Amino acid sequence: MADGVLSPGVNLEAFSQAIAAIQALRSSVTRAFDCLKDGMRHRETLEGREKSFVSAFQDSLHSVSRDLGELERLSNLVGKPSENHPLHNSGLLSLDPVQDKTPLYSQLLQAYKWSNKLQYHAGLASGLLNQQSLKRSANQMGVSAKRRPKAQPTTLVLPPQYVDDVINRIDRMFPEMSIQLSRPNGTSAMLLVTLGKVLKVIVVMRSLFIDRTIVKGYNENVYTEDGKLDIWSKSNYQVFQKVTDHATTALLHYQLPQMPDVVVRSFMTWLRSYIKLFQAPCQRCGKFLQDGLPPTWRDFRTLEAFHDTCRQ
Amino acid sequence: MGVTCVSQMPVAEGKSVQQTVEILTRKLELLGAEKQGTFCVDCETYHTAASTMGNQGQAGKLMYVMHNSEYPLSCFALFENGPCLIADANFDILMVKLKGFFQNAKANKIESRGTRYQYCDFLVKVGTVTMGPSARGISVEVEYCPCVVANDCWNLLMEFMQSFMGNHTPGIPSVFGNKHDSIYSPADSMVQYMELFNKIRKQQQYFQ
Repeated sequence: MADGVLSPGVNLEAFSQAIAAIQALRSSVTRAFDCLKDGMRHRETLEGREKSFVSAFQDSLHSVSRDLGELERLSNLVGKPSENHPLHNSGLLSLDPVQDKTPLYSQLLQAYKWSNKLQYHAGLASGLLNQQSLKRSANQMGVSAKRRPKAQPTTLVLPPQYVDDVINRIDRMFPEMSIQLSRPNGTSAMLLVTLGKVLKVIVVMRSLFIDRTIVKGYNENVYTEDGKLDIWSKSNYQVFQKVTDHATTALLHYQLPQMPDVVVRSFMTWLRSYIKLFQAPCQRCGKFLQDGLPPTWRDFRTLEAFHDTCRQ
Repeated sequence: MGVTCVSQMPVAEGKSVQQTVEILTRKLELLGAEKQGTFCVDCETYHTAASTMGNQGQAGKLMYVMHNSEYPLSCFALFENGPCLIADANFDILMVKLKGFFQNAKANKIESRGTRYQYCDFLVKVGTVTMGPSARGISVEVEYCPCVVANDCWNLLMEFMQSFMGNHTPGIPSVFGNKHDSIYSPADSMVQYMELFNKIRKQQQYFQ
């Protein structure tokens, strides 16, 4: 019975029988002690009294042991309490009667339900997002080290000479845009793109993928005190800070993992439309200024100028 | 230095110079501009001394020596249609040494003083032009800091000036016409100020 199958629920009948058995045991123990206390009165001779006392006491002890055996048998039948507590031991908090001062159990249940829902929604979202491959790195999330492919995608480890060639070709594409390539920090290329006399862009690359851009004014200093290219400090002018944000949006928009040189070309074509940053009015409202800023947004397909607040 | 346009704001009808300046600054503050200190541009006139004229009998040239609080360590020296020299602040002392060749016309000293406002990437300076003790006019300087090519952003500048100057928005300055696509420099602002000061000096002569 003890090594039988663990019953999932409490055996209620055995439980009630066990409670009755406890009561029987209690009464037989009380009778045993009463018998000891009271002794035998209504016998004449001492021997008679002794004999009847011993037999009465033996009877009561037998009944005690019988009841104890019954209780042990029933307690094995009762089984473990149900495992259906949603919070196991913390479910015992629900037994606390002071609900308004310490509403721990209800808050705990709500938090648990919320986290379950969150996990479910996150699973749905990751399934939907994985359909559209937006990965820019070689690592695959959630795949164990054994199953990760040994070789990185070929477009991430291109020879630096190839990168130089692509950049030089793009440099020659547009007359008003000049690109300077340097590699001060290892193999990632850093480009300084000068667009006419309007702006300068610092592009940090990772093989042939564009990683980060910073747009600064034509008269701003792009070098640090050591003479190296300053890739971190922002522009002093609000218009170029805005254009930097738009450029970051653009480099995330133009994506083709298999043909990165097409991506770089499209990005440079988009950037070139900024040659008329101060001359072009907004295509939507017709004005030059909105909150003190010229039209800083360039549409990704048509390259038309819009104010940041005017774009659809 | 960004592209700058210096112009004169006519005094409003029935109001004093001070009051017109106040109206302008209030309009700027309504637009959202922040006050950022004061500025001062002054101009001294030097005649070429008679002793150096020689036999040619040509009219003496006027040289203007100007200072701008935006460039506190510099001194600008320019002829009317001639070149502009950007020198060290010690140039003033040099002029004292050149007393024999250039004489200071002290009565012609003219200056513009006022407050500096910043709105987004624009820098606006509204100043009262004084000659001696009297206020003669109002100067408005608008600078668009990010742009360095003059003709690129004229329309943008004009739109901004219209928002607070209304009908008194000036036309394109003459220095812009000569610039073509070269980079705007502080000397161009000083030429504009010189032209403005000359205009104000001539105006007052009629009212004397």
